[in-house]
Amino acid sequence: MTTLDVRELLNEAAAHYRDRPHAVAMLRECLERLDEPLRVGFIGTPGTGKSTLVSALAEWPTRALREIDLFDTPAFAEHVDATVRLVRHLEPDELAGTRSVGGSAFARQTAVNSVLVLGRADEVGAGRIDALLTAKQLARRAWREDPDCAGFQGVIAVAGQLGYAGRALRDDEFEVLRALASISRPELERYLLSVDSFVDDPFPVRVSPESRRHLVSRFGLYGVRLAITLIRTGCDSRLKLSAELVHRSGLGDLRDTLAGCFVARAEALKARTAVLRLEGLLAAEPLPHGDRLAARVERFAAAAHDFRELRLIAGIRGGRTALSGEDAEEAVRLLGAQGLAPTERLGLEPDADPAEIHAGAESALVRWRHEAERADAAHAERAAARVIVRSAEGLLSLFVA
Amino acid sequence: MTAPAWLDVLNETLDACAAHGRADLAERLRRRRDQRAPGTRIAVVGFPKQGKGYLLNALLNAPVCAVGDASTPAVPTEIGYAADPAAILVGHARENVPVGDLAKELEVRPPGSLRRVEVGLPRELLGTGLVLVDTPAIGDPRSPRTAATLDVLADAHAVILVSDATQELQPAELALARHIRTWCPALVLALTKIDVSPDWRELAARNRAALSETGVVADVFPVSATVRQAAAKAGDAALNGRSGFPELLNWVGEQAARPIERTRALAAAVSVRAAAVELVETLQTRLNAVSQDNGVDQVTLLHQAQRRTEELRRQNVRWQNMLSDEITDLISDAEYDLRERTRVIVRHVDRTFDEGDPVQIWPDFQTWLEENLAEAVETNYNWVSDRSEWIAQAVASTFGPHYGHAPELPLTGSGVDSIPEVGTPKIERFKIGQKLFTGLRGSYGGVLMFGLVTSLAGLPLINPVSLGAGVAFATKSVRDEGGMRLQRRQALAKAAAQRHVDDVFIRFSKEIKDEVRQVQRRLRDHFAALSDQLSEELTRQRELIIAGSAERDRRTQRVKKEIDRLAALHRKAGALGATARDIRELSA
Repeated sequence: MTTLDVRELLNEAAAHYRDRPHAVAMLRECLERLDEPLRVGFIGTPGTGKSTLVSALAEWPTRALREIDLFDTPAFAEHVDATVRLVRHLEPDELAGTRSVGGSAFARQTAVNSVLVLGRADEVGAGRIDALLTAKQLARRAWREDPDCAGFQGVIAVAGQLGYAGRALRDDEFEVLRALASISRPELERYLLSVDSFVDDPFPVRVSPESRRHLVSRFGLYGVRLAITLIRTGCDSRLKLSAELVHRSGLGDLRDTLAGCFVARAEALKARTAVLRLEGLLAAEPLPHGDRLAARVERFAAAAHDFRELRLIAGIRGGRTALSGEDAEEAVRLLGAQGLAPTERLGLEPDADPAEIHAGAESALVRWRHEAERADAAHAERAAARVIVRSAEGLLSLFVA
Repeated sequence: MTAPAWLDVLNETLDACAAHGRADLAERLRRRRDQRAPGTRIAVVGFPKQGKGYLLNALLNAPVCAVGDASTPAVPTEIGYAADPAAILVGHARENVPVGDLAKELEVRPPGSLRRVEVGLPRELLGTGLVLVDTPAIGDPRSPRTAATLDVLADAHAVILVSDATQELQPAELALARHIRTWCPALVLALTKIDVSPDWRELAARNRAALSETGVVADVFPVSATVRQAAAKAGDAALNGRSGFPELLNWVGEQAARPIERTRALAAAVSVRAAAVELVETLQTRLNAVSQDNGVDQVTLLHQAQRRTEELRRQNVRWQNMLSDEITDLISDAEYDLRERTRVIVRHVDRTFDEGDPVQIWPDFQTWLEENLAEAVETNYNWVSDRSEWIAQAVASTFGPHYGHAPELPLTGSGVDSIPEVGTPKIERFKIGQKLFTGLRGSYGGVLMFGLVTSLAGLPLINPVSLGAGVAFATKSVRDEGGMRLQRRQALAKAAAQRHVDDVFIRFSKEIKDEVRQVQRRLRDHFAALSDQLSEELTRQRELIIAGSAERDRRTQRVKKEIDRLAALHRKAGALGATARDIRELSA
């Protein structure tokens, strides 16, 4: 089912509801939304760093995120196509609140539109220098092991403040940091002990208290420590430091996940939102002959291969399938985790010629069809392989025309 | 040693709690009373990831509590004085483990196998018998971890609430602070992680404001475990001063220095006051509920009862008329029905014996008659029984849906078995001898008659003609005689059958009438009783309504008096707390 079918479905529904102006207006809005950028909402309790993250991502001149609108705490959860849910800690109590319950069968079946973010990852482990690594491990473990995290397309640890500051690192800030890094490690240590020491104490080098305060409010104490360590270990230019900070902050991971799971599937996710709203309308104001429309909604869910691909990508990456290592890499690539273009799916050069693509798709099809029919594999494994087969078939079907 | 003054007040309040069904409050007071621990207990509580473990470790300068990424333990850890460091896991048994391995040991224990952990450390701070209790992080109010923590609070004399400086106090934390302050004489807020928070001073001020807005009296101590650790490592007293811990330790020392008897008196005073307030609230709610059914409602109730009485009176007339009408109808209908059924039988009997010879058909007929009579009687009976049930239902329905169950009406049975046997009528058979005699009599006349006529023609008296005539006459007279006898037999059988049917009819119509009268009596008794019962209920209800207001007044008075008593207890407890505080201040 394509976006075209959804348009047709919405138009047909609008015809059925022509005597109810508000319903028609709603359906029109859904239709218009299909042409607009994907809407991603950031949700979470106060203090999880939503605004920081939204501004860090929104002002990023990156191609990957150009096609989406970011919303800080959307008023209506149903008016966004995908969500980024932030929590401060991966504690059971906090995670329990993130689980979305209920919804129609369609909504549950296609719920592949949410990413969990452990915001303020730099606070993990009381600000030790390996805090971000620990946070990433925690996030990875939670995604693999915690059933509360199983419904997400990814669980990503992000230090929003650090990422933001790193991405927008200014020359003067870099100079100050470099000056600090020039102080010997044992000598600097006591100044990095606390914000108070860093800001108030007389410093061995000429860095004004104002710029120190500015630095700590922008990077946080952890960020300052990390930046100084990075400069000492080789990030000797502003660009290098900036890139490394963004990389370490997890902001890049988040961007890639958003790009891979949401932006690449924008059409399917927008169509999903439209169908969900149509479903809500059908339930709230039933039509005398609404069964046909409802049936088509169901068919949409059944036919939308995008959702199955997304779910399987999350399953493989979250370690909930038997696939691992190179097999897992190949599988998620074929499923479109690294881009939906045939060359990206097949791991070929962007300018590969059609014959090569055809051959690649064919061999992938043969290989995964074999996996799908292996008698000794578990049912879930074969089901997963069948989804990959269907993706490979999709590649081959491009050549039919 | 005389019992301390607070004990009486506490016991009195405890009794009141138990008497008013607040076992939870009573239990808390009981724990305050029965506490036998030698020293002051200070609980450290907080939500997850606020730095409780770091705080305690920094307080004690020892890595006692699990910190960092490991999830905090689900059982409380009690840290007291011991000459040599020791850790005991208390589950079903007590098990010694090295203090250093405590975190590791706790991780491998299955959940629920331990009740608490006891740690002994050779620290001067703990020398006075002070016990610091690390509690599981508070979270989901239904989780056992939260329950365990709240349980610890019931025994605590003072509480350190831990909240970090990266975020303002949350509503849940404020609610917790309020709860603690209600039940515990001393509470402070430790604002942790101030080393990484650039604006902890503003945050501390905001938290102070939030606490006092909530009505919680509590100091705020901003601290940094990291700074203290560094200071300890470097032996830097100035840095230690910056960590904020000296102030917190001061406060802890103050709590520990107070004689335990005074601490207990204070705790008891606060607990009594809290219990008294909660109890008064309960009673007040009850009082309000009582006064709400007072007044307007009562008049309405009385009116309702009045209306019901009149309705009942009308009902009485209605059901009695209905019952007698229906029963009269039933009797006449039942008799007519039985008559009709027997008449059909009689008609059939007549038809049968107009043609049939009783001699041949009587045995079959007898069976048929008995069966049909039984069937007729039985059908009639069942019909009467059904109608009786229906009448009972109809009458019951006049009492309204609540009383719609009619009494059981077991009829004594149709008595079909007792239908008398049909007496066989005296049926004469036309025997061979009689036939011969009749034939001879007929042939005699014929021979004689024709013999005389033919003798005129010169024939002898006995000649073929006269003999032929004799034969003919004999045959005829035998036939005539047979016909007459048959008719007589038929008449006899008919009469016998009819008489039998009549007997049955008379007997059973009487029986059925009796049954119906029985039914009538039973229904009358039942509904009369029901009617009596209803009117009695109504009378009682009215009496209750009238008496109720007096009773309610009495009860209200009682509750009010109880509230007054509790208020007095509350005052007394307040005075106790004040004296205890004064003494402390004097001795300090």
